[in-house]
Amino acid sequence: MDWSVIIDNLPFLMKGLSLSFQLAALTMVLSLSLACFIAIGRISHRRWIRYSSAIFVNLLRSNPLILIVFWFFFLVPLLTGKHVGEFWSVLIAFVVFFSAYFAEIVRSGIQSVGSNQIKAALSTGLSYPQTMRLIVLPQAMRNVMPALVTECVIVFQGTTIAYVIGLREFLHSTILLTERTVRPVELYLFAALVYFVVCFAGSTLARRLEKKGIRV
Amino acid sequence: MTNTPIVEITNLDLYYGKHKALDDISTSFTSGSCVVICGPSGSGKSSLLRCINRLEDFTGGDVLFDGISLRNTRDLAAVRSNIGMVFQHFELYPHLSVRDNVTLAPRKVKGLSKAAAEERAEKLLDQVGILDQVDKYPAELSGGQQQRAAIARALALEPRLMLFDEPTSALDPEMIAEVLRVMRDLAAGGMTMLVVTHEMGFARDAADEVIFMDQGRIIERSESEVFFTNPKSARAREFIDRIVYKL
Repeated sequence: MDWSVIIDNLPFLMKGLSLSFQLAALTMVLSLSLACFIAIGRISHRRWIRYSSAIFVNLLRSNPLILIVFWFFFLVPLLTGKHVGEFWSVLIAFVVFFSAYFAEIVRSGIQSVGSNQIKAALSTGLSYPQTMRLIVLPQAMRNVMPALVTECVIVFQGTTIAYVIGLREFLHSTILLTERTVRPVELYLFAALVYFVVCFAGSTLARRLEKKGIRV
Repeated sequence: MTNTPIVEITNLDLYYGKHKALDDISTSFTSGSCVVICGPSGSGKSSLLRCINRLEDFTGGDVLFDGISLRNTRDLAAVRSNIGMVFQHFELYPHLSVRDNVTLAPRKVKGLSKAAAEERAEKLLDQVGILDQVDKYPAELSGGQQQRAAIARALALEPRLMLFDEPTSALDPEMIAEVLRVMRDLAAGGMTMLVVTHEMGFARDAADEVIFMDQGRIIERSESEVFFTNPKSARAREFIDRIVYKL
């Protein structure tokens, strides 16, 4: 084994890892924000909002991520006549896909907050959007924090899918380097170690949060 | 005590699915009065209370608050901000401190500055006797303290009417007194109050009138002294016998 291949190419690998982190972080923030709206839509009293949110969630959850990525990469430019580039195309696909999963987690969180909390807030004259934003969502997020963190770990693992359209994230960088240096054992072991460290840290955090049971 | 009706209820119906929870209720409440609503469980007391700020969407009839129709108003939130409500299980916001629980609505609904809202909150928490708990979270308070904080939260909007929905039912016996004391003070201070409760002692000495409900209807409405000494309806008499004289 020759580990110098990793040290020699560390800047190249780290550039890939940094892109993976960027993609994961942006996906988490944007899809969780979008998920809050979808989750509220899922429990809306207006039927058309409830149904369209449900269709969105179920459609996305019954398709593989790779297909959604291809869809945005190949089909959307055909339909709109515009190409947004690999990073943006993957980011949009990820945000859409993961927002469906986050939405289900947020919805279960919202439903874990008693309806009397909503009544109490409304009774003080707060509007429904204010009640959601100030009273329900903060409690909902706390209640489902472990599940949210676990989903974030899945998002990070999911960034590897970007490889299929040629985005040079961490796994793709590793593969390119392997082809050039013919050092698959060292490089794939290193990649595995990196993914393990990041994801294990995430799932440890999720477990801690669960144990702490941060219900105030 | 003036005689202006602050709440007028006309032909109110409420259904839960096919079950008729309120059946053609018509009544009114005057400013400054304290009225206790009692009756067996499932008689519609809490439902009636929740129709008065339209937390329940009534099916037929209307509720007028200060002349404003709750059925037709375009600004329900504005009406609600004039009506304080206290719940059986307190319903304080668990993620906010007592201070933030009390200042939230005055700031977000009435547009008070942070300083003004906090000054008002401290005054009210002092009034209900838990000023020393202002920085704690609801989970750190006893049941009685939580309910008093909830009363302060409702009062912080300077409401013209206070609704109490079984405010002592979830409390340990030794904590009931401290909550009732706050409510008695409020009634004595001229606050208009509608109280759903099983505390017949409170009904007897603090309330002006008692409404007795059964099966979604108002069976009897009497001055509180009359209700306890000489109830008009047989059902009310039975109810009083069961819950008062068995003590």
